[in-house]
Amino acid sequence: MDTQWPRWEVFKQDTPAKPHQAVGSVHAADPQHALLTARNIFARRPQAISMWVVRAEDIFSWTKEELAENPPPEAAKQTEPLAYGFQPLTFCVFRKTSHKRSMTFVDYVGEVSASSPEDALKQAQQQFGDVEALAWWIVPTDRLAKSDPGSETVESWFAPATDKTYKQQQYYATIGSHVSKHKLGRETDDEE
Amino acid sequence: MRNEIKQALIARLTALADDEVILSHRNSEWTGHAPILEEDIALANIAQDELGHASVWYSLRKELDGSDPDGLVFFRDADEFRNCELVELPRGDWAFTMLRQFLFDLNETLWLQQARDSSYQPLADAANKILREERFHLQHTQAWVERLGLGTEESNRRMQNALDFMWGYTQQLFVPIPGEDLLVAEGIVPDLGGLKTRWLEYSIQHLQNSGLKLPINPGYQPASRTHHTEHLWSILAEMQSTARWDAAARVW
Repeated sequence: MDTQWPRWEVFKQDTPAKPHQAVGSVHAADPQHALLTARNIFARRPQAISMWVVRAEDIFSWTKEELAENPPPEAAKQTEPLAYGFQPLTFCVFRKTSHKRSMTFVDYVGEVSASSPEDALKQAQQQFGDVEALAWWIVPTDRLAKSDPGSETVESWFAPATDKTYKQQQYYATIGSHVSKHKLGRETDDEE
Repeated sequence: MRNEIKQALIARLTALADDEVILSHRNSEWTGHAPILEEDIALANIAQDELGHASVWYSLRKELDGSDPDGLVFFRDADEFRNCELVELPRGDWAFTMLRQFLFDLNETLWLQQARDSSYQPLADAANKILREERFHLQHTQAWVERLGLGTEESNRRMQNALDFMWGYTQQLFVPIPGEDLLVAEGIVPDLGGLKTRWLEYSIQHLQNSGLKLPINPGYQPASRTHHTEHLWSILAEMQSTARWDAAARVW
């Protein structure tokens, strides 16, 4: 029996001027639980003002290579019944544009209204094609769970982190003494 | 500040700090052992926050009597600690740990909300600062109580066992310490009677919404913070061992 909880992708917004960015994932039983654990893991120290989570299986993703090899069919030509029906739905579009940094993010770029995830991708490519996308993530907007934007939540979830200091790893290099001293100590103990 | 009030305030700050430091250490025992990595990190965060709160209360005490927080934590013996027995109890299973943390956090949150209006400004400032984090802790532990209470037969049974065992212990949170009435009269700390009414209202509602029953027999209710369970001796032996091993050490 698989006892793993589902995986959720976590998007963190650092400041009002920045987009929500994919920062990693958590396992959790439900959306609220995912937000709670995401806050602990991704927003305890660095700055944040908002978090979103979505079940990984609700994300439709395409990489540049996948699209080159296997372009999605024209939305108009689709004959299969669509997973989300024929009503236009709102999708959130996330885009990755760089491999440069060690932490490259998939950024939120905006919303599109579409009849299917494939249709949403087409629209995303048209609307947000100003920069070459290395990967697209398309998420039905109603599948996203968002942290409460109320000031009380922002105060208790995110504000404390901004006052907190933390020590860099090298700080701890001062712990203890040179290894040779420990060896000496152990030898003395052994003789007793 | 009159000396008797000062002494009472020192005692109250010590009780607050000791509760936090012992519970923090208990929770830290889960590090590396929690049911899932995410919760391991989350509980370590809560433990670290509680340790930070303890440090705030010890610092306020230091302003009053010059006592050294490290000295208090690492070099007092068990019978000098003034924490309640609830926080000493072994960590038990995840249900026990989450329920204890929820009931403790709820008390702390309600206490801090009122303490923001303390006539002793350093305490009001500290309450304001700590309350922000405590609200988040409460959301997290409250969610766990609900999920385990309403989860499976086994999770409900474990949560109910935890509740039956600790309900009496939680009542010690509302037992005034000697001199508490003086502090309340001066508007320095909240009145525990009113606090208990609100705590009962909130906690009972959440416990019942989570499919749990209040124990008919509340069980053992500790009354004095000068009494401890045998568990305090063993937790201190572990917690204080490094500091006592080399008391003169300046860098650990």
